[in-house]
Amino acid sequence: PTISNPNHARIHFSLSLPLQKQTLCSPAGEAKSGILAPTEEYTFVEQLIPPSRVPFPPKHDGPSPFGWTPPSEVPLAFPYMICRSRMHNVPVYTYLTHGSRKTTLVHKIEGDIWEYLQQLTGKDLPTQVNEVTMTIRVKGHFDTALKEWLVKK
Amino acid sequence: MSFTRKPGGKALDILQNLPRISLANLRPEPGTKKAEKKRGRGQHGGNRSGRGHKGERQRGNRPRLGFEGGQTPFYLAIPKYGYNEGHSRRAQYQPLTLNRLQYLIDLGRVDPTQPIDLTQLVNGRGVTIQPQKRDYGVQLVGEGAGIFAAKVNIEVQMASEEAIAAIERNGGMVTTGFYDPRSLAVLCKPVPFFISGQPIPKRMLPGEDMVPYYTDAANRGYLADPEKIQKARIALAQKYGYILPDISKDELFHMLSMIKDPRQIFFGLSPGWVVNMAEKKILKPTDDKLLQYYSS
Repeated sequence: PTISNPNHARIHFSLSLPLQKQTLCSPAGEAKSGILAPTEEYTFVEQLIPPSRVPFPPKHDGPSPFGWTPPSEVPLAFPYMICRSRMHNVPVYTYLTHGSRKTTLVHKIEGDIWEYLQQLTGKDLPTQVNEVTMTIRVKGHFDTALKEWLVKK
Repeated sequence: MSFTRKPGGKALDILQNLPRISLANLRPEPGTKKAEKKRGRGQHGGNRSGRGHKGERQRGNRPRLGFEGGQTPFYLAIPKYGYNEGHSRRAQYQPLTLNRLQYLIDLGRVDPTQPIDLTQLVNGRGVTIQPQKRDYGVQLVGEGAGIFAAKVNIEVQMASEEAIAAIERNGGMVTTGFYDPRSLAVLCKPVPFFISGQPIPKRMLPGEDMVPYYTDAANRGYLADPEKIQKARIALAQKYGYILPDISKDELFHMLSMIKDPRQIFFGLSPGWVVNMAEKKILKPTDDKLLQYYSS
């Protein structure tokens, strides 16, 4: 096996610590004084401020390395609609209660969804429909299948 | 859109046409309420009421939990050992998987074109650090090393070998640095700290027990010799079987090679400075003693 050119030269570590011992023209006795190139250094402070809104994800061709697929630009016309969550994910969640009770929750459903659920699972599963909060709770874990299917829409 | 969204839906339509709901109209769903079993009544439940025949069992005088009839009970026979001693004082490092890091980068919450710091991770809501609960930072964990494909300059507090290998394989740089609890609090929440008007503190050096960790090139410690780090990078590449990409020829080399001084908390800001966010100004000390202190 070939070894890549061993980089004998030291990697140049740029230490960004410009400790400035400059005494500005301020009277002695003043502990703090003025500013040197305020805008350049203030950009470092601006980078530290947390964003207040969820950023829009960058464009990927197809699925990203993690496996996330962006929502399709033009949603296909179906009698129902399932929007993405605030973090741009598919709103399918699994729960495990009492150690062995598996449930899948699909949320943000709008419209008429009954036909596909039958096609997808092949049988009538115990479900709970909550029309006010627009959720359907199904017994069993179907998250991978549901997510793959919803991502294609 | 080919549908109309109606909160409540069909159930609400039906409800609007039914008579007023009152206690006389309501009833629980059949099968949800099971009748309670009453002790000691009836032909087979009566007589001794499920208590057995005479003795301590029937008379309700059984000894305490754990008593074994006089034999030294289990909880006294086993000797004590300090497994959990001082557990509340132990340092904790919040794990960060490479899976999660890739997810954050893919969704744009963490920017790979800038050095990734604990502040950037917290701003992107990737990890939650509680400096007051003995958290000393973040540790990089190798789960997801197979799918990781991002070139980043990342600074964490601890990192597993597999994680370091995965990042370096993609042309990135890993550094492990120590933050004492006060510096960690400042690092995680810089804005409230700046608003408080205190000068940026200098980062303290690690305690005796952590110095060997941070001076070791295999852990990419910030106190280690850069030459040894370079050798360790080559050795790790040979161990894990990948070709180490030459980052000095990369266009982002300047960003990838940025690391902080051992006494520095933020990139670009040195200890002793006071940040005024209202007026967007930075105040720097000029007194000799202060400068000496902050540069030591």
